[in-house]
Amino acid sequence: MNQQRDAKGAAAIEALRTRIEKTDDALLALLQRRMTLARGIGRAKLVAGLPVLDPAREARVVRRVATRARELGMPAEEVRSLFWSVIALCRSEQIHARMSAARAAK
Amino acid sequence: MIIVTRPHITDAELDAIREAVERAGLQTHLSRGEHRTIVGCIGDERMLAEVGLATLAGVESVIPVLKPYRQVAREFRADPTIVVVGEGAGAAIGGNELAVIAGPCSVEGREMLFSAAASVRAAGATLLRGGAYKPRSSPYAFRGLGEEALALLAEVRAETGLPIVTEVMDTRQVDVVAEHADMLQIGARNMQNFALLSAVGDVRRPVLLKRGLSGTIEELLLAAEYILARGNDQVVLCERGIRTFETATRNTLDVGAIPVLKRETHLPVIVDPSHAGGKAWLVAPLSFAAIAAGADGLMIEVHPTPSTARSDAEQSLTPDEFTNVMTRLRAFAAAAGRTMAPHNVLHVNRPPDAVGAGAS
Repeated sequence: MNQQRDAKGAAAIEALRTRIEKTDDALLALLQRRMTLARGIGRAKLVAGLPVLDPAREARVVRRVATRARELGMPAEEVRSLFWSVIALCRSEQIHARMSAARAAK
Repeated sequence: MIIVTRPHITDAELDAIREAVERAGLQTHLSRGEHRTIVGCIGDERMLAEVGLATLAGVESVIPVLKPYRQVAREFRADPTIVVVGEGAGAAIGGNELAVIAGPCSVEGREMLFSAAASVRAAGATLLRGGAYKPRSSPYAFRGLGEEALALLAEVRAETGLPIVTEVMDTRQVDVVAEHADMLQIGARNMQNFALLSAVGDVRRPVLLKRGLSGTIEELLLAAEYILARGNDQVVLCERGIRTFETATRNTLDVGAIPVLKRETHLPVIVDPSHAGGKAWLVAPLSFAAIAAGADGLMIEVHPTPSTARSDAEQSLTPDEFTNVMTRLRAFAAAAGRTMAPHNVLHVNRPPDAVGAGAS
């Protein structure tokens, strides 16, 4: 009886883990898309003569997702800190894009 | 800098305050207390000069922090921090109930560990300690059983329900120790190992940070700041005696550090009377002094047969001596307005770890 239940439980966990992995892949694809967009911004900022770091814009992005997270019933604090990491990731992408664009222009 | 908000501030007002600070390139940390909410600001405060924080809706006052540490400062939090160790209800450190971490200096084998765990639990200990990796003054002394000990500790936790505290000595050990233990201990000799402090700051496990042999209170708080700066605010400080000219005791228990720390920081403070005195007979009086001075708990070495212990034999208590200390401690706890976990309570074994969506 117990053994049967254990086996059933293990199978359910395995199935959920597979779905989690698929979701992780989807998250990665979305992150990749965001990084590509960030590279575009990096190049555009170079043309416009603007600096990469834009704290006002970053603060606005975080505030927006925090509000949205709250509406969705998600823990806003954790979502905020996650997005600060996402922003840091995309900011470094902007810097790379800018550097290669500047090198290509030479 | 710390922003104290008005009572009943709305989420939208808080968001606006934080955006105003973050626009200036600083980080914000939110602390919601029973009576007030605090927004702590980290970064170049000169950038806030033009912001006019005091005029924003919901702001009651803006207070500068004049100490070199920020996030560990008492002012940074609305309420004192309570660190919860272990799965489920776990063991709380920093609440009204005293936390008592007890167990052998090092894990020497299955039998001694299970015997030590059963006896400290029966006497009312709330967490189990046991060294897997041991920093020793001599490279030729017994340096612990390593991963084998970690596996034994995890087994004994399943058996007794006691959360496990064990030391991590090296950044390379952080992941494996975090996999098995409920709380990571940074030993006195590593208090200013800043790479290690940052590494445990990245892990979401509570940390027990011991004061260095020659570490000042400010240096201890700055060491804790390293861990909080990486996003891990579950830190407990431990006074374990400092090096002085006195040789009658192994170290000198700095009783004065306890109220100073309690005044300076919101983090819980515990005391290790075993290392401070270095003698088994000193554990009782030093424990009583620690609790009287306001410590949130104790960490005591207990060995089933101290005479055969492979490390710290002189300062380990027998299970009977430990039970005796715990019984006599109750009066001191009561006088300090603190409670203690009842002894001889059979803890119900915890169910196997619940599987959350994040576990994989």
